[in-house]
Amino acid sequence: MSTNVVTEDGERGAERRAAASPLASAWARTRNFRPVLFLVIALFAFFSMTQGSFLNEANVKNLLTGIAILWVVSMGMTFVTIVGGFDLSVGAVAALSGIFVARLLGAGVPDGVAVVLAIVLGALIGGLFNGYMIGRLGLSFFVVTLATMTALTGVVNLWSGTHSEVVISPLISRIGVEETLGLPTAIWIMIVIFLVALFVQHRTYFGRDVYAVGGSLTAARLSGIPAVRTIVIVYATVGACAALGGVIAVGRVGAASAQVNVDLPLQAAAAVLLGGTALAGGLGGVGGTALGVLFIGILQNGLSIAGVQSFWQQVVTGLILMGAVLGDRISARGGVRRQLRTRRAQTVSHP
Amino acid sequence: MAVHAQRPSSSPPLLELRDAKKRFGGVRALRGANLTISAPGVVHGLIGENGSGKSTLLGILSGQLSLNEGQLLIDGEPVSFRTPAGALERGIAMVSQETALAMHLTVAENIFLGHRAVKRASGIDWAATESRAAGVLERLALEIEPGRLAGELAPDQQQMVEIARALSMDARILILDEPTSSLTDDEVGSLFRAVRGVRAAGVSVVFVSHRLGEMFAIVDELTVLRDGLTAATGPISDFDVDGVIDAMVGSSGARRDLVARDGADRERAPALEVRGLRVAGAAATVDLDVADGEIVGIAGLVGAGRSELLEAIFGVRAIEAGDVRIRGASRGAPTPREAIAAGVGYLPPDRKVQGLVLRRSVRENITMAMTSSAGRLRSPRDPACDVAVATVMERMQIRASSPDVAVATLSGGNQQKVALGKWIAAGSRVLLLDEPTRGVDVNSKADIHELLRAAADDGVALLVSSSDNPELLELCDRILVMFRGSVVASVAAADASEAVLGRYAGGHL
Repeated sequence: MSTNVVTEDGERGAERRAAASPLASAWARTRNFRPVLFLVIALFAFFSMTQGSFLNEANVKNLLTGIAILWVVSMGMTFVTIVGGFDLSVGAVAALSGIFVARLLGAGVPDGVAVVLAIVLGALIGGLFNGYMIGRLGLSFFVVTLATMTALTGVVNLWSGTHSEVVISPLISRIGVEETLGLPTAIWIMIVIFLVALFVQHRTYFGRDVYAVGGSLTAARLSGIPAVRTIVIVYATVGACAALGGVIAVGRVGAASAQVNVDLPLQAAAAVLLGGTALAGGLGGVGGTALGVLFIGILQNGLSIAGVQSFWQQVVTGLILMGAVLGDRISARGGVRRQLRTRRAQTVSHP
Repeated sequence: MAVHAQRPSSSPPLLELRDAKKRFGGVRALRGANLTISAPGVVHGLIGENGSGKSTLLGILSGQLSLNEGQLLIDGEPVSFRTPAGALERGIAMVSQETALAMHLTVAENIFLGHRAVKRASGIDWAATESRAAGVLERLALEIEPGRLAGELAPDQQQMVEIARALSMDARILILDEPTSSLTDDEVGSLFRAVRGVRAAGVSVVFVSHRLGEMFAIVDELTVLRDGLTAATGPISDFDVDGVIDAMVGSSGARRDLVARDGADRERAPALEVRGLRVAGAAATVDLDVADGEIVGIAGLVGAGRSELLEAIFGVRAIEAGDVRIRGASRGAPTPREAIAAGVGYLPPDRKVQGLVLRRSVRENITMAMTSSAGRLRSPRDPACDVAVATVMERMQIRASSPDVAVATLSGGNQQKVALGKWIAAGSRVLLLDEPTRGVDVNSKADIHELLRAAADDGVALLVSSSDNPELLELCDRILVMFRGSVVASVAAADASEAVLGRYAGGHL
């Protein structure tokens, strides 16, 4: 994103410097999520060496499909976090989307249409409700999404009668468990969602707006950036991601569960923060989030192969969450120090 | 009763910082600076451009930073402390630039923050705490109710509560880091009274400010920093204004900002017309015109409605009545987007929160307004942006190692240039500027003034609000004075003086 500018700066002759090699600039861009990058590599190496079955194809596919829902939700959550908010309602939206699909199929709606409608429903809940309340009316994201989560959990229970509903649909089981072009379809979905998110983040003005609004809402607004629209779209996006996650969940078990996964927003928080996105907004990105989700997935998968009791997975997940928040704090401090150093460097070197 | 600087040479100075050196990585922020506070009960001024090492020096005095080399002596004894608490133990307290009060607590609670309220077996004795707070406030000759919430106080009073807090901790040396940067003239006056009260009580004050006039008004002795070295020091009687400026900028870089603009009386087309504008909640309506190429100033006390007027013109504050026309056409819906589309730019008074997104790059901040109407799914990798960024950075002499560094890493003056550069890049034809040089160093201030004049010469219409009257007199063609929401006077800058502006601003017509 920056190399061409740097080169031009050099050509201007104001500050002649060697143009950074693409490799070096790619490395520089990993700064925000370097800790989790090393953690993922270390964890991967550890389980590969200690658990013989970790690296076989079936397990790797299993690992990746196992994190598909968290992956998709966390991508949307990254944008919400960068814009300075959070969405607690993703678990409830995902469950609602599952029931909605089941009911649409029950009413004879074709499965492709049902899936699209579910995603639209998720976007509408996220955008028109969460996004509007938070962006337009300026209410606290915590209160608004907590309210949405609570109300929708009630709706899910009422609508499903607390019973799971079997879903028979070729499309949805293809999304959840079957393969397309030699890879589980869920993995393709993960790849596509990630690439789209990366593109939007780096290559569109909308992506820039998300950072600007999260960095300073007032400054963004005074610069003419459509701040309210940005916030609404970001919450609509995470709603759509959650709904897609709900569809994947239905596909994986072949039924729409009446249970709301209350851990989902918190696991997404862990993944996003672990990936170097600041809870305060304005900093971070989906690249780090991808690593954060991978870390959680590798850990859970590796521990379960090692035959560690499932309760230990919870303990470790809790510790990861704590580590993620702590890491956020430490890197924020490091950032300030770095900034102070650079600032002094500049002001002194240009008397 | 100013106790003056000269004392028998037998008693050591109250505080002496000798040959202080401090590095940050490879950067030498202090390269052997000296600072001597000669005695208790003196006001010691510290002045220097941004980047001269002032903040580092204050950090060392207040225990936030430690020295690499050099010595700090109090009463002639070497001391070293590594924390603000350690400095406080030695009697050094600092009141920093940003207010650090708990806004939801009372004045008394704030003064005795940190478990120092009066306690009894039955818990905290609020009556006794408040009367002790009243005692501290009285020592400073301050009329502030100890029971009021800190958040209800005016900015100057909040600052005095901080000073009171420092004194209640038995400070012998009080550091005031740019205490006047957000105060009006009246408030500065009351701050000065408090500083004189502190001095009379035998406490020495380190007074940091960018405003030369204040230095000559309040300090007894002065230290000028430049490039991490002490450029000059001594009793204030040894200095005059030119001497201080020369010491600050170095003789080679000396710049005086006294370019007179002619053409104030040229016939020009109106660019901005405001007719019967009533800001929501205001009692009065405002009419004004700014012609192409004209610089119109707005003077007035804080609270006179200057900022509100600019906000209303730009569309961020609701209006109850009236019309804003840009080049003859009524502006659309009152939103910043419509104003920007009509060619209006607005530099808000608080660059850190309103003017810039500090965490984003110089490039992104400069292009933020010019690209705000582009399709949101388009790519920001636009060669036109590269050109605009390079042009603005060069023309405004923005000192940054690259356009891709975060704005937060820049010095205050450079940050302000970026905030202004945003509108230069956007090609705004009408610029609304609120305190365009607040908290920037002398050189940056001169750069910004030069740039504004150049913009006016290019035909841009400028409306500048400032609480710095000399700045308006120097910069503007015409000055409007506001009092309680309405424009009470319009004077040609050539005919105006600080006294005239002050009289109108105070409502004396």
